[in-house]
Amino acid sequence: MKMGRNGEKIITYALGSCIGICLYEPHLKLAALVHIMLPLNMETGRKNTYKYADTGIRAALREMELKGARRAAITAKIAGGARMFEVSGGSLGNIGQRNAESVHQILRMEKVPLLWEDVGGTVARTMEFDSATGTGVIRSYGRPEIKF
Amino acid sequence: MEIKNYGDLSGLEIDTLKEIGSIGTGNAATALSQLIGKEVRITLPEVRIMGYNEAIEWIGGPESITAGVLSQLGGEINGIMLSVQQMDFINLVLSNVLGVSVADFNKLQEMQISTLVEVGNIMISTFINALSGLADISISLTVPAFAVDMQGAILTVPMAAYGGQSDYIMTIGGNFVCDNKQVPCRLLLSPDIRSLNFLLRKLGVMDE
Repeated sequence: MKMGRNGEKIITYALGSCIGICLYEPHLKLAALVHIMLPLNMETGRKNTYKYADTGIRAALREMELKGARRAAITAKIAGGARMFEVSGGSLGNIGQRNAESVHQILRMEKVPLLWEDVGGTVARTMEFDSATGTGVIRSYGRPEIKF
Repeated sequence: MEIKNYGDLSGLEIDTLKEIGSIGTGNAATALSQLIGKEVRITLPEVRIMGYNEAIEWIGGPESITAGVLSQLGGEINGIMLSVQQMDFINLVLSNVLGVSVADFNKLQEMQISTLVEVGNIMISTFINALSGLADISISLTVPAFAVDMQGAILTVPMAAYGGQSDYIMTIGGNFVCDNKQVPCRLLLSPDIRSLNFLLRKLGVMDE
């Protein structure tokens, strides 16, 4: 998880089936970027908090509140959840989709409005987020940049 | 003793995995040599157990574009094997098999892609054959899948498949030597933890 404020840019590289979640508090211009790999934390002891959608999003929200963010003002933008290989059968092919479903559910449960998303498909995404404006850009291979 | 993640592996167990990597890549080099009709040797491969971030740096950073051929292991072992094909490797194969070379991944045509998939498939299969012979276990492989994209995202596939169990992956790297040129060979093997325990027991290096 990365945090930035007052114009710092935060970036996460090469999101494949992973999902990048940009959380933003506009009054403080405080941004957090969580890069989750899996939908649910089922580890004993729940280490590796930020690897999972459920524990990762919640921990980031707590960190933002500790920095003085108003919980009700925090919004989210997400990208990732691609299917990198066309593999028949098994759970391998739909990890991205399960990640997206889990992120949606956790954001709903935590009452964080989802303002924008670019999920699914078959391309990897690098996500850059600007804490000055709450906007960012997605870069992919073989696809034009997307501003959000 | 049953291991719970790669960090629990003993020195002897790691040495055994290294030996498998060494034999497996040796066989893969022979297979490649037959395919392109030229002598291909491999430098002593380096087999390591790496954390995922370390593995991504080892392979050349998250955003570099690469091709990957991936097969899933089934039968007595579950896991994923990935052959990472960087530009030098691709041109070594294409120039010798099809007599062409490409400058960019997005210039790859269908015939060239199917050649690369087949080469990846042969390397993975030879590697797995060596493993299954050494350990006397039967392993099946799925039809290989192919992707061109950022390395970070391609490497995440085996990570995410077993990421709930372990933060480590087995990397096998060496250099193919052909026409006095060295071309990196990058293979990644990620068995699930149950399979890794089974494998080490079969190889007789795990204390009961």
